[in-house]
Amino acid sequence: MIRLESVSKTYKGSVSALRDVSVDIAKGEFVFLVGPSGSGKSTFLRLLLREELPDEGRILVAGRDVNKLAHWKIPYVRRNMGCVFQDFKLLPNKNVYENVAFALQVIGRPNHVIESQVPQVLDLVGLAKKSDHKPDELSGGEQQRVSIARAFVNRPLILLADEPTGNLDPATSVGIMRLLDRINRTGTTIVMATHDEGIVNAMRRRVIELDRGAVMRDQERGVYGIGS
Amino acid sequence: MFSKFGYFARETATSLRRNLLMTIAGVLTVTVSLFLFGGVLLLSTMVDHGVARWQGDVDMQIYMQPDATDSQIEDIRLALDQLTQGDLAGVASFTFLDKPAAFEEFKELFANQPQFISSLSDPEKLPTSFKIVPKGAAFTEELRLSFEGRPGILRVLTPDSSVRFLIKLRSNVRLLFFAIAAVLLASSLFLIVNTIRLAIFARRREIQVMKLVGATNWFIRIPFMLEGLVEGALGALLAFFGIIGLQKVLASQVADANDLFSAFYVTTGDALSIGWSVLALGAVIGMVGSAIGLRRFLEV
Ligand SMILES: Nc1ncnc2c1ncn2[C@@H]1O[C@H](COP(=O)(O)OP(=O)(O)O)[C@@H](O)[C@H]1O
Ligand SMILES: [Mg+2]
Repeated sequence: MIRLESVSKTYKGSVSALRDVSVDIAKGEFVFLVGPSGSGKSTFLRLLLREELPDEGRILVAGRDVNKLAHWKIPYVRRNMGCVFQDFKLLPNKNVYENVAFALQVIGRPNHVIESQVPQVLDLVGLAKKSDHKPDELSGGEQQRVSIARAFVNRPLILLADEPTGNLDPATSVGIMRLLDRINRTGTTIVMATHDEGIVNAMRRRVIELDRGAVMRDQERGVYGIGS
Repeated sequence: MFSKFGYFARETATSLRRNLLMTIAGVLTVTVSLFLFGGVLLLSTMVDHGVARWQGDVDMQIYMQPDATDSQIEDIRLALDQLTQGDLAGVASFTFLDKPAAFEEFKELFANQPQFISSLSDPEKLPTSFKIVPKGAAFTEELRLSFEGRPGILRVLTPDSSVRFLIKLRSNVRLLFFAIAAVLLASSLFLIVNTIRLAIFARRREIQVMKLVGATNWFIRIPFMLEGLVEGALGALLAFFGIIGLQKVLASQVADANDLFSAFYVTTGDALSIGWSVLALGAVIGMVGSAIGLRRFLEV
């Protein structure tokens, strides 16, 4: 589903963010991307989204070489990928329902699809009763659920999450991880960047550890740090 | 498709409302510049009509001094007589207007200003003149040069010289007004670019989300393009009505004026065709303005 072949990336006027990274992620996998701040986790995800281009190497997402993609095709590839961020990126002037529906509207989905899909996904994330609330009337955990609903409403093949629990307390984080686990069980591939030890250790999923841009470890059913 | 249309209409309307002051400023600048532009076109259409009428009429006139002696007048008559002979001569025919005839012509010309006619106490003060029909418009300049300055001649009036003066005046005035209109058009373009930039800034969160969920660039751009288009077209529409109104005013002025100026007319048809091009220009300014405003910003 996702394949990086000797990928390197250096931002202008900066040290290298990724160094000769080769990773293969199969369909339906749940992968943690761990490492200290600045180790290149976000860069990894941005390259998959084709927000950045690598200096070297090939990146395949769902069988497509995303770096060779014509400009106009990029949006269509992104429709296969949902993304979730630490800061939720919800639109403050839209309510829960509208925030989720927005993701379908702007890719031109017809109204009847929107009207059936949005309540369904809000049910999945447990926010059916709060669909007319504005984001500022919700707790952090609820806001993250809305953002997951928005990322998942189009049933993407891949869900990318960049420190989705970074702003949440541990108890709330557990709920979010349970939700991501449920989504993973529907066959969605999940790549989640995090430096939350507790979560990684509790889940026992594949762990890819980055250090200063290089892959230090790639372990099935791993824990956060070696020996921990 | 229908839901998309509704989406674009809503987004555009919201954005226009959010930047109401900038929107109004943009619309009005477009209006003023396009009205000026269209007004200049309308006025020069008027002058074109007048010039066309006058150019068909190549008669020229040699005015004698009021106190020219009979022998001076006789000299000119003989010279003209000679110019009617032979193939190379330029005069087809000519007539002499004596003082009573000159007075008749004067009365005709100012028929609608009787007080002006009665103010002329002494018809003797009117100059006598020769009315000349040249063999072609090409001869008028040559004839003017050969008579000007001869004893007893006040002036040689060729329609060409007045027409030339008018054309020159028209092209200079037109140039000036077009320059002003161009500056205004450029500033309305900048205002629209600015409005679009502000609108993009106000909606940067939405745009970020749209990009992430895979909205196409066109889908993101269309509401902004429409915003520019609406501003340009709205401004142009106001200018359009302004131009139609200006035509009505000019037409009624000409209808009241004397014979001399009735040649300078503009029809509703003229105003309409100028109006349509002004509308198109407004739409283009709006689109180009938003295209410039959107450039750079929406790179993937
Ligand atoms: N847009 C950017 N411009 C320049 N340098 C950047 C940019 N984004 C990230 N970097 C640098 O690249 C490295 C990796 O950053 P990042 O991928 O954000 O790491 P992480 O997400 O693991 O904290 C860091 O050294 C960071 O300073
Ligand atoms: Mg990061």
